[in-house]
Amino acid sequence: MWWYVAKRLLQTIPVFIGAVAILFLLLQLRQGDPVLNLAGNKPVSQEVRNAIAAQYHLDDPWYSQMFYFIKGALTLDFGNTFSGQPVMDLIKETFPVTVTLAFMALLIDAILGITIGTIAGLNRNGFFDSTALVISLLLISIPIFVLGFVMQLIFGVKLGWTSPTVGGDWTVTDLILPAIVLAIANFAYTIRLTRTSVAENLSADHVRTARAKGLSNRAVVRNHVLRNSLVPVVTYIGINLGSLMAGAVITETIFNVPGIGNAAYQAIQQGQTATVVAIVTFMVMVYVLMSLLVDLIYAVLDPRIRYA
Amino acid sequence: MRLSRRTRLAGVALIAAGSLTLAACGGGSDDKSEGGGGSKSVITVYGTNPQNPLIPTATNEVGGGDPIDNLFSGLVAYNTDGSVTNEVAKSIEPDAAKKVWTVTLKDGQKFTDGSAVTAESFVKAWNYGANPDNKQLNNYFFYPIEGTDDIGNTVKGAKTVSGLKVIDDKKFTITLKSAESDFPLRLGYSAYFPVPDSAYDSAGKITKEYGEHPIGNGPYKLTKSGWERNKQISLEPNPDYQGVHKPKNGGLIFKFYAGGGTDAAYTDVQSGNLDVLDQVPPSALTTFESDDKVKAYNEPGSSFSSLTIPERLAHFGNDEEGDLRRAAISEAINRPEITEKIFNNARTPASDFTSPVLDGWTDKVAGNEVLKFNAEDAKAKWAAADKIAKWDGKFVVAYNNDGAGNKEFTEAMTNQLKNTLGIDAEPKVYATFDELRKDVTDRTIKTAFRTGWQADYPSMLNYLGPIYATGAGSNDGDYSNKDFDKLIQEASAAEGAARYKLIGEAQAILMKDLPAIPLWYQNATAVTAKDLKGFVFNWKQKPDYYALTK
Amino acid sequence: MHETQPGTRPGQERFVAPVDETPLREIDAVDIDAVPANQWKEAWKRLRVSILFWLSVVILGVIAAMIFFPTLFTDVKPTTVDLGKSFDPASDGHPFGYNQQGYDVWSRTVYGARASVAVGFFTTILTTILGVVTGAVAGYYGKFADTIISRLSDIFFSIPLLLACIVTVSVLNNRFPDRGFWLSVLVVVLALALFAWPQITRQMRGAVLETKNLEFVDAATAIGASRMKNLWRHIVPNALAPVIVTATISLGVFIVAETSLSFLGLGLPPSVASWGNDLSAAQSQVRSGQHLRVMYVPAAALALTVLGFILLGEAVREALDPKARKK
Repeated sequence: MWWYVAKRLLQTIPVFIGAVAILFLLLQLRQGDPVLNLAGNKPVSQEVRNAIAAQYHLDDPWYSQMFYFIKGALTLDFGNTFSGQPVMDLIKETFPVTVTLAFMALLIDAILGITIGTIAGLNRNGFFDSTALVISLLLISIPIFVLGFVMQLIFGVKLGWTSPTVGGDWTVTDLILPAIVLAIANFAYTIRLTRTSVAENLSADHVRTARAKGLSNRAVVRNHVLRNSLVPVVTYIGINLGSLMAGAVITETIFNVPGIGNAAYQAIQQGQTATVVAIVTFMVMVYVLMSLLVDLIYAVLDPRIRYA
Repeated sequence: MRLSRRTRLAGVALIAAGSLTLAACGGGSDDKSEGGGGSKSVITVYGTNPQNPLIPTATNEVGGGDPIDNLFSGLVAYNTDGSVTNEVAKSIEPDAAKKVWTVTLKDGQKFTDGSAVTAESFVKAWNYGANPDNKQLNNYFFYPIEGTDDIGNTVKGAKTVSGLKVIDDKKFTITLKSAESDFPLRLGYSAYFPVPDSAYDSAGKITKEYGEHPIGNGPYKLTKSGWERNKQISLEPNPDYQGVHKPKNGGLIFKFYAGGGTDAAYTDVQSGNLDVLDQVPPSALTTFESDDKVKAYNEPGSSFSSLTIPERLAHFGNDEEGDLRRAAISEAINRPEITEKIFNNARTPASDFTSPVLDGWTDKVAGNEVLKFNAEDAKAKWAAADKIAKWDGKFVVAYNNDGAGNKEFTEAMTNQLKNTLGIDAEPKVYATFDELRKDVTDRTIKTAFRTGWQADYPSMLNYLGPIYATGAGSNDGDYSNKDFDKLIQEASAAEGAARYKLIGEAQAILMKDLPAIPLWYQNATAVTAKDLKGFVFNWKQKPDYYALTK
Repeated sequence: MHETQPGTRPGQERFVAPVDETPLREIDAVDIDAVPANQWKEAWKRLRVSILFWLSVVILGVIAAMIFFPTLFTDVKPTTVDLGKSFDPASDGHPFGYNQQGYDVWSRTVYGARASVAVGFFTTILTTILGVVTGAVAGYYGKFADTIISRLSDIFFSIPLLLACIVTVSVLNNRFPDRGFWLSVLVVVLALALFAWPQITRQMRGAVLETKNLEFVDAATAIGASRMKNLWRHIVPNALAPVIVTATISLGVFIVAETSLSFLGLGLPPSVASWGNDLSAAQSQVRSGQHLRVMYVPAAALALTVLGFILLGEAVREALDPKARKK
């Protein structure tokens, strides 16, 4: 087991390098000149431009930018943003809020999604199932920005139940509304997956066996149906933490959450390649850890899988 | 001494100022501070995380610019109407040729660290800003001074600007490249602020620490918490401040909105979490004036939008065909329809190349009927151009999508061109400002593109010279007209009515050549909390922060 | 790396009650007389009698008609525009009035189906093909293939989809400056697919891992089926069910993703009529609460399309599921 974990962690090294390489390559293909962004509408002299470009290695080819990046990353030094802030500090400031937001969304998604999905799966094609289908469908088809604006307007401005925006002094309560909005985008997936999986397992051999043994319906559902049905659901929810964090870009903008999704989006817009890569590296780390966790949970949920 | 000799305000400016006064009076007796005594409230205002260190010569974007304007005082301070009053300067006197200006400083001026503001504080900071080795983005503002190149860098090989000479602690001279009668108008801009000695390290570089905790001489200073990245910048009144913008409030907090999200900020004003938002998001333009949760402000503003069709483009050269086609396109755009339907009248159709809030502005520029929608004439001109060389292909207008409202108006405009001229026209999106600007500055852009200008100092000439003069820094369309250059040069040196007459003649040339097609003036729009008083737009479309109270 | 241990399995020591005495008769009654021939042929047989299937066919038929024969629905061209009619209310021949730019809302929605469905459809096809092949190979062969594919999919999946798309679309946009309808769609499809396939891979791999331990695969191996045959004949079809469900929902999600990209200004260009463009243009109406029909109409079309595909996926999944074979 521990050997397995160590092996997996070792395997993440090429993932990091691969992700970093792809990002540098992609961002190199971007055609803007970040210095022009800094200068705004005003002309900037070639000397100043070149001096700034040299400071941030803007004119270097992607592989040498990548080299500087990895060299710094080994000592956890990701350089500075254009505003002179160490990128590491930026990450330290913005990471916690987004992780909190994403975890809250994940929790809402998992609790509601699995519950509704299970009930729907157990009563396939019943009234509850059909209602759940319609609702999850509606949620999937409303773009997150529309939903975000509407919920903000209703719960934040009109009803005043919660602060409509989050801001620099964030609290967990402030994040509830954005977390719900963020969760909703994934919610439909979770419901559908759980439902399908539960329904499928209901007719599986081992469930029939369990029923045949005379177990109560409750016990069958809990021990035999759910345990097996959750494998794909856990995969989906688990590896989704990373995309939740990135999907937070839009939610964070609407609710003014000073998070990492937004920091990354800003950095992309401003052409701050090294900052983008550093932030995404952290997201990659979250992803890698989550997918390791998912694989370990597999073993718990499905005793047939063992890691050696 | 008031340096502006123009005490009389021009038409629109007067109306603007009139409504400003009314707005300010609407608050009633604003000195009746609640709680009694000196406990004045702190005002939270919209801001964005600064993209550069907080050094006057290093930043020209609003996120850092707004705090810097409140942390520092220059030689002169801008009044609400754009005229200037001496601030740190006791006097700024020109020689007879208006080329050499002698600056004398007031006594007893101090930075917040206690050190004196001297002639050296200014000259050293300007030399630092103009030297390209220091990578300062505001060097451009030094270009009128002798010893700098076209973009305001110290001339090759020099470390300092030869036009700047310290006479003694309280006196220095500025020598200009050419005569300029309203030069002091420039001196309130942030690039011209002084920097204390403590800012520099032993190698003569401004330190990183200073860029994070700047020490200034302005109406405000940083609080202990100061600049909290990605959160806010907190300012408190500077007790030693002697100038004209004495704070009436207990301090300012620039609250940052991620990605400049004015939508979130608008919601915050509605729910009482933010006092001032100085730019209304497009999504609220139709409703903000009737929104009973906020106080709304909507006035003519100082920024100018235009459409530039470079002369390099086929069919748009500097010849009869190009002139006809430019005029046809200008006449095919129904400006009032766009400003009404797309911007809900938060823009005003342009009738010249400058801005209605400026002294000397008039809507009677010769030849400006080319800016009026005229479908028949547009078609006729396009047809006449077709006789010279047949048009084929598509008329494409590029815009950057990270600017609010750009997509909507570009789409509406190209649709109007399609409908009126019967040609194929479409918008082209650039994701970000810098991607568009790179193609523009590299001259690789193969389409027309949107352009805009926000003045650096309140003078009509600032809307003309830097954009349309031959070889000027922001002349994106590579326009060149000797007559125009000459008129601008003369207008710079002239004063009063004579100057405005010359500017009018220069603009008449632009109306004929249309190096850029004027579209509209952007209104200054804002919303504030219901209980906020003293909100006044200044010429920069910014509130006079010091005057805000609650 | 996964290594499975065939030890004791639940159900190996099973106790089988007499078939006639249990209430499970219906689901237990496998049709042992049926010809074990073509699985897909059988699936079709079952599809033909599915209500879900026909419902989805009707919905998708309508959408398809919008795509291929838009003139059946509206006489107004999507390019006809008059800013003067901005937000004008419904009138004869214009059932939902006009949007801000002065386009006919209904006409834009009808013609917008083409681009929006194309983005969803082609992205789904691309990701599913890539995902199923890579996932099946990784899950079944394990070892080296699994390591390579898993790491590769990790690399692409670990970079968050939305951020990756923002970068990719803006890069591709610059590469293809003057692009027409299909090139515009392709740019969005490629950007989405490039970073979305690992999700299917991951799921397929998980499902294959699970399926390959089931008894019938052991049985097939025992009677000498080749590994290749085993994979494609027995494992993939059985592992495909959750993938089809994900894929059909993804189709909706990709259409919605295009609207999110449009919100950030990186979707299809304004010259292409699409639901994403119309929805993101309608966002400012949400705050003012006026003229909300400019949002409802494309949103309803979007919801209906997503519904159609989910229902189809559901029906196909049931038809393909061997365990659902009933008498």
